[in-house]
Amino acid sequence: METWIKKTVIVIVILCLLSPIGILLTWNYGDAWGEWSEVKVGNETWEPKSYSGGAPLADYDVPGWEDQFMASLGYIISAFVGVFMVILMSLGVAKLGEIYNEIRGKNTEDDRSDRD
Amino acid sequence: MHIPDGYLGPATCVFFYIVMIPVWYKAFKMTSKYLSDKSVPMMGMLSAFVFLVMMFNWPVPDGTTAHMVGAVLVAILLGPWAAVIVVSVVLVIQAFFFGDGGLTSLAANCFNMAFVMPFTGYYVYKALMKFFGKENAKTMALAAAIGGYVGINIAAFCAAVEFGIQPYIAPGYCPYGLNLSIPAMMLAHMLVAGPVEAVVTGSVIYYLKTYSPHLLELPKVMPGGESVGNMD
Repeated sequence: METWIKKTVIVIVILCLLSPIGILLTWNYGDAWGEWSEVKVGNETWEPKSYSGGAPLADYDVPGWEDQFMASLGYIISAFVGVFMVILMSLGVAKLGEIYNEIRGKNTEDDRSDRD
Repeated sequence: MHIPDGYLGPATCVFFYIVMIPVWYKAFKMTSKYLSDKSVPMMGMLSAFVFLVMMFNWPVPDGTTAHMVGAVLVAILLGPWAAVIVVSVVLVIQAFFFGDGGLTSLAANCFNMAFVMPFTGYYVYKALMKFFGKENAKTMALAAAIGGYVGINIAAFCAAVEFGIQPYIAPGYCPYGLNLSIPAMMLAHMLVAGPVEAVVTGSVIYYLKTYSPHLLELPKVMPGGESVGNMD
């Protein structure tokens, strides 16, 4: 593995472990603007319609882990799970691109000798 | 800046899917055609980086929170079309697994953060580099920082408009109009998320230019389609 990849992986792991800063720093704050699960408009409570059954790690937490310590743990787990999935999916898209190229016959002999 | 389900009316949601489907297709085509194997590990690493920087919520003085996005950094390193792919991948995972951003509003979120943001940030960066005339770690970092700041704020403005037009076109969805959505989104992003975006984007470019300049010269996909291995 190239050294820059090793270094970047270390940075990513550190960011995962530090990620709870992202909730602890804003613990007593509300949601981001426009991301409320309900909001008071005048005297009425408005709730956005929901179309899906919800996400497995909604709000980057394991369901039910609510205090600061457990939520931080849930956040770290979510960070690792998310990182794994985005890497997998972006490499998947790149792979799909390769297949697409082969079908389109973009790879000349030049490209092949370059590979591997 | 992740618009949840239930905030945008059906017309807005459909509109952004219609806009984004050709954009995704073009980005996919350009990326597979011009990005070489050498850039693929960078795509993976950047998707992880983008996912993580969005987990860091920063406090906004009005009691809400905001986060940076990282799309301009991706655009500078791999070109804006590759940034469309990388940031869209992150937004898809966030929507499906973490409930961050809705499924009906996914295309609108991708339009703001994965299309408008990397392209504006990238063009600001390019224009500033032309203006500075010389390429060193300092000028590149400054151009990248300003590109990041402008990029995220334009994206936030788009999100604010999408929220704010709902009361006029789709009653029952986002309850607040433009008079509230624009000031709120711009406060959060001009004051908090924008400066974070600027500092992180600028610092990473400064660091890479100083210690690993070859990473700035990976094959990337230019807006016009050509692939270049170095900064022009």
